Amino acid sequence: MNCFEARQEFRAFWRKEMSPERRSAFVAHLAECRKCDAAFRTFALTAPVFHSEAEPARPMSGVRRVATASHRDGRAYREVRRAQPWLSMAAAVALFITGASAAYFSVATPDETLSDAIHQPSQFAEVVSADYPEAYSDFGQ
Amino acid sequence: MRMARLALASRLRWSAAVRTDEELIADALAGQTDSFSELSARHRQRVERLCQRFFSDQEIARDLAQEAFLKAFAALSTYRAEMPFGAWLRAIVVNVCYDELRRRKRRPEDLVGDFSEPELGWMQLVSTATPEELVAEAEERRESHDLAHRLLDSLKPEDRMVLVLKDSEELGVAEIAQMMGWSEAKVKIRAFRARQLLRKQAERMTSAARPRVAK
Repeated sequence: MNCFEARQEFRAFWRKEMSPERRSAFVAHLAECRKCDAAFRTFALTAPVFHSEAEPARPMSGVRRVATASHRDGRAYREVRRAQPWLSMAAAVALFITGASAAYFSVATPDETLSDAIHQPSQFAEVVSADYPEAYSDFGQ
Repeated sequence: MRMARLALASRLRWSAAVRTDEELIADALAGQTDSFSELSARHRQRVERLCQRFFSDQEIARDLAQEAFLKAFAALSTYRAEMPFGAWLRAIVVNVCYDELRRRKRRPEDLVGDFSEPELGWMQLVSTATPEELVAEAEERRESHDLAHRLLDSLKPEDRMVLVLKDSEELGVAEIAQMMGWSEAKVKIRAFRARQLLRKQAERMTSAARPRVAK
């Protein structure tokens, strides 16, 4: 293979459209011709855009990568902790705030405070104090 | 005999189901928008791939492909069956990408900036690996595409356009001249200058990366 032929084959070589014999001849020519070798390396810098059928996917980062990886092999918790250490802390804080809010609104109506709700005599105390007025006369005060 | 008749019937059904581009266009012009959807689904992959030769960002490439389809739909009545629909659509896509390239106005000095570690690794590979290894690695490495886009970004929109059409789409000089509304001489000069510039930029790029690779 001469230089002219070799340079005509850059595209076919990149796209793997050459026969094995021709491919070997091409590689052998590049090994002994420095000019063609340099030209092929310059060609290789743009060939990924011009001559590839598909581009490799961009590496994912952060939560998306973790979600995909953990979905693939079921190691969600460890993956999340390793990749995003703040994520578990944020989840714990969010859980605490949710729990505290739920506790507050379950005992207090919008018009009363938590302290009022705690110090109000319960229905049970009223029933007991009705039966034993002396013993529970000051209950809840 | 019965089997042969069944086979013929199924072949007829198949040919009726797979309509040609021209039939779909006729239906779309008659008001059946589903036909245009089928037509665009048929050509979508090729159109998006062409857009990706101009823009590395897949979202941008997808948006431009969408814009090209919208323009094609709006101009469908001007389509003449003398040329294949694919070639007509390609001319629209090229124009949409060309406009976007000009709108974005690349700055060549951005090219030799900071390279990421994977990009440096790829450049080192380009200077040292065997041709076989290069082809195999380029398929796997995202940075090979990113770097190629950076290199192409240093070209003027006209130069990049000519190189994509000539080297990637494998169009002839006459076809490019017709598509861009240029003379054939202009296409040849543009292609020559673009290759020369690309070679220089590649040399600048590798020499800028060399001291960092050596560290």
